Amino acid sequence: MGLRFDLLSLFTTLALLSTTTTTVLSDVVLSKVDRRIDLTSQIVRVTSTLKVENAGPGPVSEILLTFPEVQAKDLAYLTAALNEGKGKVRNSGSSLPINVVNPEGMPPSLTFHSISLPKALAEGDVLTIDVLAVFTHALRPFPEEITQADIQLVLFQDTAHYLSPYAVNVQSLTVRLPKARIETYTKLENTNVHGSDIKYGPYQNLPPFSYAPVAVHFETNQPFAVAQELVREIEISHWGNVQVTEHYNIVHGGAKSKGEFSRLDFQARPHLRGASAFKNLVAKLPPRAHSIYYRDEIGNISTSNVWGDPKKTELLIEPRYPLFGGWRTTFTIGYGLPLQDFLFESKGKRFINFSFGSPINDLVIDNIIVKVVLPEGSNDIFTSTPFPAKQGQETKISHLDVVGRPVVVLEKTNVVPEHNQYFQVYYRFNSLSMLREPFMLISGFFFIFVACIVYMHVDMSISKSSASYLAKMQWDEVRATIQQVQSVINQCLYTHEKLEASLRDLSRTGDVQACKTARKTADSLLKEYSKELKPLLSFLQSSPQATQILPKVEELVAKERELQERLIAKHSTIVDCYEKKIGGRELENRVASQQQKVVVLKQEVEDLLDYIEEI
Amino acid sequence: MDSKAAAISSPVPVAWYPTLAVFMLAIGLIVTASFFIYEATSSRRNRSLAKELTTGAIASLFLGFGSLFLLLASGVYV
Repeated sequence: MGLRFDLLSLFTTLALLSTTTTTVLSDVVLSKVDRRIDLTSQIVRVTSTLKVENAGPGPVSEILLTFPEVQAKDLAYLTAALNEGKGKVRNSGSSLPINVVNPEGMPPSLTFHSISLPKALAEGDVLTIDVLAVFTHALRPFPEEITQADIQLVLFQDTAHYLSPYAVNVQSLTVRLPKARIETYTKLENTNVHGSDIKYGPYQNLPPFSYAPVAVHFETNQPFAVAQELVREIEISHWGNVQVTEHYNIVHGGAKSKGEFSRLDFQARPHLRGASAFKNLVAKLPPRAHSIYYRDEIGNISTSNVWGDPKKTELLIEPRYPLFGGWRTTFTIGYGLPLQDFLFESKGKRFINFSFGSPINDLVIDNIIVKVVLPEGSNDIFTSTPFPAKQGQETKISHLDVVGRPVVVLEKTNVVPEHNQYFQVYYRFNSLSMLREPFMLISGFFFIFVACIVYMHVDMSISKSSASYLAKMQWDEVRATIQQVQSVINQCLYTHEKLEASLRDLSRTGDVQACKTARKTADSLLKEYSKELKPLLSFLQSSPQATQILPKVEELVAKERELQERLIAKHSTIVDCYEKKIGGRELENRVASQQQKVVVLKQEVEDLLDYIEEI
Repeated sequence: MDSKAAAISSPVPVAWYPTLAVFMLAIGLIVTASFFIYEATSSRRNRSLAKELTTGAIASLFLGFGSLFLLLASGVYV
């Protein structure tokens, strides 16, 4: 087994090392080391509490952590924090900066990480540091292939002695396993088993680079969900939405399935025939998520469920088939989030504050690509991530775009739930740019209207001299003239109304003078209208196309003139009566006959207008 | 995160989008109808270009914003 060989060669180099380079880094002594390895899920989490003591002369500002190469390539996440007494809760805000270093004289099979202390440790001082290291793919299925009925066994290897360039005074190691069978484990001195915990140690006064390989072989039925690739697209719309779309390519990373798969057995006894498979995944989405969907290339997958409460939205998704070792599935989930929960403004710059990793619980992501699609017109883009990630930029053309939207692309390999930290993308955006989309729609509609106007105005006929074309042109002219006649008549009728109104005013107020002025203006207006009518009528008389309609038009004009005369006569009569102070019955007698005629004529004029309108 | 950072929300409350879409599209379609009635009934000679253009502009303004709000209300966040 290759791994065994690696460990063996490492062990021999370490044996050499411990004799040659011990003096180089011996200023620091680890007075106490507590290690807890959590193997209850597919992700291996190693929590170490180091009590560091500066024994040598001179201050120490850096502490080195050592990982063998076989582990270092699986290392996904490493964080260290000062432990300031038991009362204080460790939070990520106080984590110490860590970077990879290559001290001289060390073998290449070891990887060193250096923790920078906030202030140098003076001689004789003691400090406690909590270190969390997270490894992926560190549990190797053994055997590598199982059938549907087999249980899944995995092998984990590490060292019982804390691998460190410093001497360690007292140390112990606890390995926590899932509550299931333990196949075998390496027995050293001081090894105890309590339930599902294996305890190694305490061991005392070990020199630097002590190494005691241990292996644990145990059963685990935790979901080994590994996303080989996850593309997350976060699209911001300033109209009030953050749209998240996640494309998953998930594989079961445990022991490969061999032999045939029986759906009947799986349905009947899922715990015996398919214990290593997983049926569903749970995603913890942010609160107030809406428009959630779950689909793949062939459409919606109906086996999903959502629960919401004010703190989170929980989405349970069930792939189309249970996943056994080595089986894979691809799907897409998407959801919308309210803008005000994630977009903020400070010092003239807007920024989105969003979580980096996948919302799915206990998922290992081999390769994640996070794309933040900013609105069109954003500039001065700056990205801040809590851990190093490869950054790039591209553009995306989406709805109603002209030049495309700027996209920030972040890429990272080996991502675990510990990476679900907030990152920020800062950018500048002019609020007026929001009006681009409505402006595009408005100009689109306006273009249609302009096209209609142009179509109606442009003469599209090919032959400008044909008889039918000329007839049409003449008919158009006749129609236009008739419309003008109509509008003039309508204006006349409006003037009549005004005259009548002045009469009503007279009967109310008795102001003869005002009535007379109204009469004067009406007279002049009517005179103008009749002048306007003259050329129109003469045109109609000369036009051959108008022969049919002409009698009606002439009748209309004649009736209108008669109506006009009657009305004026009635007006003068009433004004006369008022001047001579003839009132009551006398006045009514004089006007009654005129009034009748006016009403009849008015009706006739209106009928004629309607008739002409319909032509 | 900056403590002074202020949350940014939509200029128009999201809950108003469906109502706005219905009303603006209704007004826009009515103005469009009047535009086409005018085009069809008035004869070529006494048609006023300014009136046509203003009616078209008002109609497209309402239809443009109406269709934007329709898109937003139906989940297509532009």
